[in-house]
Amino acid sequence: MDALPITELTLRQFSGGRAIRIVAFFALIPVLFALIFLIDSEGTAPIEFIATLFEEIIAPTIMPLAILVLATNALGNELEDRTMVYLVLKPLSRMRIVLEKYAAIVITATIMLWLGTLATFLVAMRGDAAENLDMLAAIWMSVFFAVIGYGALFLMISLLIPRALLAGILYSLLWETTFSRFIPGIRVFSIRHYVQSIYARVFDNPVAGVDEPLRLISAIVTIVVIAGVTLAIASWRLSTMNLE
Amino acid sequence: MATGVTAPPSTPPPVASPPRSEHATVVVENLSKWYHDVVAVSDVSFSVEPGVTALLGPNGAGKSTTLEMLTGLLAPSQGTIRLLGRPARGDTELYRRVGLVPEQETLYPFLTGREFVRLNAVLQKLPDPDQATIRALSIVEMLDEADRPTRGYSKGMRQRTKVAAALVHDPDILLMDEPLNGTDPLQRVKLIELTRRLGDEGKTVIVSSHVLHEVERFADRILVINRGKLAAAGNFRAIRDKIDEHARSVRIRASEPRRLAQSLMGTPIVISVRLEGATADDRPSIVVETTDVREFYRLVPMAAKHAEVHLYEVAALDESLASVFAYVVGR
Repeated sequence: MDALPITELTLRQFSGGRAIRIVAFFALIPVLFALIFLIDSEGTAPIEFIATLFEEIIAPTIMPLAILVLATNALGNELEDRTMVYLVLKPLSRMRIVLEKYAAIVITATIMLWLGTLATFLVAMRGDAAENLDMLAAIWMSVFFAVIGYGALFLMISLLIPRALLAGILYSLLWETTFSRFIPGIRVFSIRHYVQSIYARVFDNPVAGVDEPLRLISAIVTIVVIAGVTLAIASWRLSTMNLE
Repeated sequence: MATGVTAPPSTPPPVASPPRSEHATVVVENLSKWYHDVVAVSDVSFSVEPGVTALLGPNGAGKSTTLEMLTGLLAPSQGTIRLLGRPARGDTELYRRVGLVPEQETLYPFLTGREFVRLNAVLQKLPDPDQATIRALSIVEMLDEADRPTRGYSKGMRQRTKVAAALVHDPDILLMDEPLNGTDPLQRVKLIELTRRLGDEGKTVIVSSHVLHEVERFADRILVINRGKLAAAGNFRAIRDKIDEHARSVRIRASEPRRLAQSLMGTPIVISVRLEGATADDRPSIVVETTDVREFYRLVPMAAKHAEVHLYEVAALDESLASVFAYVVGR
C-alpha cells in the first residue's frame, strides 16, 4: 500500500473513528424502513417500495449526509488536530494529497452505502431479490456516482468553510432535499438530479418515478466534471491556505 | 515568496539586521506577519549557517510564527524567506531537504511509532523506507517502543517519535519547535546531545525555546525574538553576559531571616536586602536585589552556613524571559 499511503492512513482513520459509526447509522436507516415494510406492506409491491425509498429518502437525504460526514472528516480532522503538517511538509503535490483523501472517501462511502442498500434490498424483496438485480445494479451505480459528486463537493467545502459540516447539512437538507425537488428550474444545479437520472436510466423500468431524467452519459459526465472542478479548487485551496 | 500589498500596522522600528553570511542556508529578509491590527512578527531579518541556532523568546514572542513561515506553512504578510537558496513556500521539492519537529504533540493515535515514522519515510519517497525508519528510531532510542500505538506514549516518547519522523529523510535543515517540552531530564540530555551532534555534522538546526538555560546547552548562536521583533542575534555567551548584568531579585526563606539578611548585606554583589511579609510559619522572607545572580546562588548557602541558618527556599523573582528580554533589548 506504499503507492497510496495517505489513502491507507485515511482508511485507518475512518475505521476507528466516530465518522464511520455515523455513516453506518445513516446506511442502516433504510434497513429499518424495510423491516417496517416487512411487517406491514399495505399491498405495496417490494419493487415499488424500494423505488420510493430510494427516490424520496436515500438519494436526496441519506446519501449526501453520509458522504458529508466522511468528506468533512477526511481533511477537517487533520486541520483540527494539526496533523496536516505531517502530510504537507513532504515532496508531494497538494493535488495528490487531495486525491488520496478523496479516494479514501470514495472507497469507504461506497462500501458503506452499498452494504446499506443491499441489506435494504434483501430485506424488502424477501425471496424476490434474484429477479430484481437490475434494480440493485441501478441503485449501486447511482450510489457510486453520488459518492463521486458529493465526496468531491464536500471535500472542497471542508477546505473553504470553517463550519463545513454545518454548511454541508444545510446544503443537503435545504438544497438537495427541499428546493431542488420542489422547484423544477433549479434541479439542474443539484447533484441529486444527476444521480437519480443515472438510477432511472440504468434501471429503465416505469416504477422509477424520476421526472425527465437526463441521458445516462450526460449525467455521468456532469458528475465527473463537478468532481474534477471541485477537486481542483480543493487542491488550489490547500496549496494557498495558511496551516497554523 | 508572498509579499503583502497593504501597509503593515504601525510597529516600533526594528533592530539592525546582522550581516548575511555567504554560507547561510536560511536567509530571512524583512519578514513580517500581521493579523489585522495584531503584529506577530515585525520586519525581522537574519541568516543562519549550518550548526545549531536557537530561536529564543518568551511565550507569544513570535517564535512559532517565524518557524511556521520558515517551513512555508504560513505565508508572510511581507518579506522573503529562502532555504538553501529556494523560496520556503510553494516549492514542495524543498521538503526533501527540510524537516520539522512541530510543537503540538498530536500524532496519529492509531499508528504505532514505527508506522508513523515509516509513513513519513514513504511520503518522503525514500527508496528503502523500512531501513530509514529503523535508522531514525534508533537515533532517538525508540526502537524498543516502536511497535506500541502512539496513543499510549508519554509526552517525551511522542516528542522523540516526532524527532525521528523529522530525521527519517536525513534533512539538511531541521527546525524544532520547543523540542524539550514534556521530556524528562535524561531525555533532555539525549535530545540536546543529538541536536548538537546534528549541528556538528553540518546540518542547519534551528531550535526554538523560551527557556534560557536550555538554549545555553543547545546552541552557541541565538536569535532573540521579543514582541515579534529580532531583539538580539549572535553569540550566546555575549548575550548571556548582557543578561547577567541585569539586576535580579531573589526571594529567600530561612529559619532565621533577620540573621541571614544581616549576613548578606555586606556582600558586594548585593544591592539591597529587605524583609517582606510573613509566611505560613510566621517568618518574613528575604528579598535580595543582586547584580550577579549566578554568583549570588553560589554565595547564599555559604552565608547561611556561616550564620548557622537553615535555608528553606531560594527562588528568583524576575526570571521570566519577558523581563530579562526587556532589559536586553533596552526598551
